[in-house]
Amino acid sequence: MRAAVALAGAELRRVARDRTFLFFMVLLPVLIILLIGITISSNEQIRVGVVDTGRGALSSSLARELADDPALTVESLDSRADASAALRRSEVTAAVVIPSDFDAALRAGKPVTVPVLVPGSAESSQAALTAVQAVVGRHSAAVQAAAFATDRRLGSFDQNLGAATRLQQSNQAVPLRTEVVDSASNFLPLGFSYSAPTMLVLFVFINALAGGAAMIQTRQYGILSRSLAAPTRPRDLVGGEALAYLSLTVGQAVLSVGIGAVLFGVDWGNPWAAAALIFVWALVGTGAGMLSGTLFRTPEQAGAIGPAIGIAFGMLGGCMWPLEVVPPSVRMLGHATPHAWAVDAWVEVLSRGGGLTQIAGYLGILALYAAVLLTLASLRLRRSLVTP
Amino acid sequence: MSQAVMTEKAVMTLEASGLTRRFGDRVAIEDVSFHVAPGETYGLLGPNGAGKTTTIRVVCGLLAPDAGEVTVAGLPVAATATEAKARIGYVPQEVSLYPDLTARENLRFFGRLYRLRGQELRDRVEEVLELIGLADRGDDRVESYSGGMKRRLNIGASLLHRPELLVLDEPTVGVDPQSRHAIMESIANLGTAGMAVLYTTHYMEEAERLCDRVGVIDHGHLVAEGTRRELVARVGEKDRITLSATGSLALFAEACRRIEGIEQVDTADSSVHLIATDGRRRLAQVLAAATVTDTSVRSVEVEEPDLEAVFLHLTGTALRE
Ligand SMILES: Nc1ncnc2c1ncn2[C@@H]1O[C@H](COP(=O)(O)OP(=O)(O)OP(=O)(O)O)[C@@H](O)[C@H]1O
Ligand SMILES: [Mg+2]
Repeated sequence: MRAAVALAGAELRRVARDRTFLFFMVLLPVLIILLIGITISSNEQIRVGVVDTGRGALSSSLARELADDPALTVESLDSRADASAALRRSEVTAAVVIPSDFDAALRAGKPVTVPVLVPGSAESSQAALTAVQAVVGRHSAAVQAAAFATDRRLGSFDQNLGAATRLQQSNQAVPLRTEVVDSASNFLPLGFSYSAPTMLVLFVFINALAGGAAMIQTRQYGILSRSLAAPTRPRDLVGGEALAYLSLTVGQAVLSVGIGAVLFGVDWGNPWAAAALIFVWALVGTGAGMLSGTLFRTPEQAGAIGPAIGIAFGMLGGCMWPLEVVPPSVRMLGHATPHAWAVDAWVEVLSRGGGLTQIAGYLGILALYAAVLLTLASLRLRRSLVTP
Repeated sequence: MSQAVMTEKAVMTLEASGLTRRFGDRVAIEDVSFHVAPGETYGLLGPNGAGKTTTIRVVCGLLAPDAGEVTVAGLPVAATATEAKARIGYVPQEVSLYPDLTARENLRFFGRLYRLRGQELRDRVEEVLELIGLADRGDDRVESYSGGMKRRLNIGASLLHRPELLVLDEPTVGVDPQSRHAIMESIANLGTAGMAVLYTTHYMEEAERLCDRVGVIDHGHLVAEGTRRELVARVGEKDRITLSATGSLALFAEACRRIEGIEQVDTADSSVHLIATDGRRRLAQVLAAATVTDTSVRSVEVEEPDLEAVFLHLTGTALRE
């Protein structure tokens, strides 16, 4: 046992000294979480500016409804010029300008348009437009209802408008969620709470495979065979390598959790479920890393082919994009990788508030992957030690 | 080795008997037996591929023999024999160290494998660094070392646990003369300090200088064994004459064979080796033979018997080609 700890200690010390490996372990995950998190981050609140030039009862009620909408974060602006400036500085993705004749026109039953300012590249404002349109539509529905009632001499316009708005509030319309992007899926997790755990899954695995290089080197340096001349048994050495890779994978996972929480405000959900997931995934990574260390012949092979395999598995397993967006056949194929099960489990924990019971099935499957990989790797390593 | 001898003598530090190991059809060593007494330095002398490393690996429990057995301080050596292994310090033929760790880190790692820890480990690491003359370079990575420094550290890593038996497999290969001298010096010191040493080499001078007893190994067989004096006596009081010459060497060799007192003649590229009784007195006849066969002799050397001669005599081939 002490020999195992000594070997693990030496291996980790070497890794800690390897700048390239540290880059892949620490810096790259941060960059990629950031990149993917931003690309699929429609879940964030949309910032819109509102300029109320009318300042009437109806225009201010529209402004209020926009501000109350859960999908929007509203910034009150004083003028159209301010709105343009805010757009240019990207402080808002769209600006709603309520015209000065808004109240008068509506009360007179005349048509009125509400301009929404968007930047030159209007792509990103699409979500904002949709959300604003929903609020304006709801607002004008109430106004129309009130106009209709007034027309039928059922009371004053203002009374009717109040009644219609109250009615609307008590009969909540189905709220729109920008989560749905594809008709085939019913639920699509987005933003950092998707990219952070999938990058954890991806990078623990990739770095474990690439880390196989360390074990190959140790073998090439003759350390392992020399160690057997010491009062050390082969199983101590197998245990030492396993301990080294487990420390690496757990370290990488904990680092990803930390980065996600601190830099990107990710809430990692139920701590027990998250801890259990991290541990079984670290075991999967340990098995994969050790197997890489026994399958590849040279450290260069492990360093080049390992990450390629890791990325391919990541793509198949839903680490780059949600498997909800791929055809069912591809999704099924993806579940041949342990990644898909890990990602499913993380989505359960992060986006649906799942606990240990909800992910028990996933944990079982992942534990099976880990057991197979670890057994295979240990047997191969042992054999390479015992028969020279 | 008979039972009587075993009980009569003190327990041998190393006792190897009847070691045989094959690799497929190739017999690497066959029926190799020898022992190393406490404090004794024993040399295994043999050319490339003779079976030195194979013998050493069996002795250290790294390779299971097909037949035979090894005991260290009376304890049987096997792959799982941790008690026996704890008494051996093994210096592999190839430098086996972490190049990306410092000397101190390497030594600490190997010390831990040999069950040292805490203050004792720290003390031993410093002592060994001092011993191998790397104290001032202890915090440099091994990859920045010269070949000789790596060799020294390779030896140092096996000394940490104060082994009863130090096993060195050609520790001076590829080392400049100065480092080689330093290495031999420190091994000689360890020997005088009471450590039993098993030393393999294909350098005759090393075996002659360091070893109390020498075993000559060739093609997997231990062909002779003894102190230098004993081995030389086996060859008889014969001298060795080496002529570097050009011309029809085959004819010249033939002529030499007919000279009385010349017992063996070997020709190589541009040299002729003769084994003779009382070599100096045959020299005139040898040179005459050269003149007769139209061979021009560039240099002549007469050597009193040494291990090289012993080796030549025993195996019919020169140790170094
Ligand atoms: N692992 C192996 N597989 C197959 N053959 C081997 C193996 N190890 C050694 N041999 C063979 O056994 C014989 C003895 O080799 P060994 O390495 O013991 O010689 P050596 O005396 O140490 O030579 P050198 O001076 O070159 O180190 C050689 O013929 C070698 O080819
Ligand atoms: Mg050898």
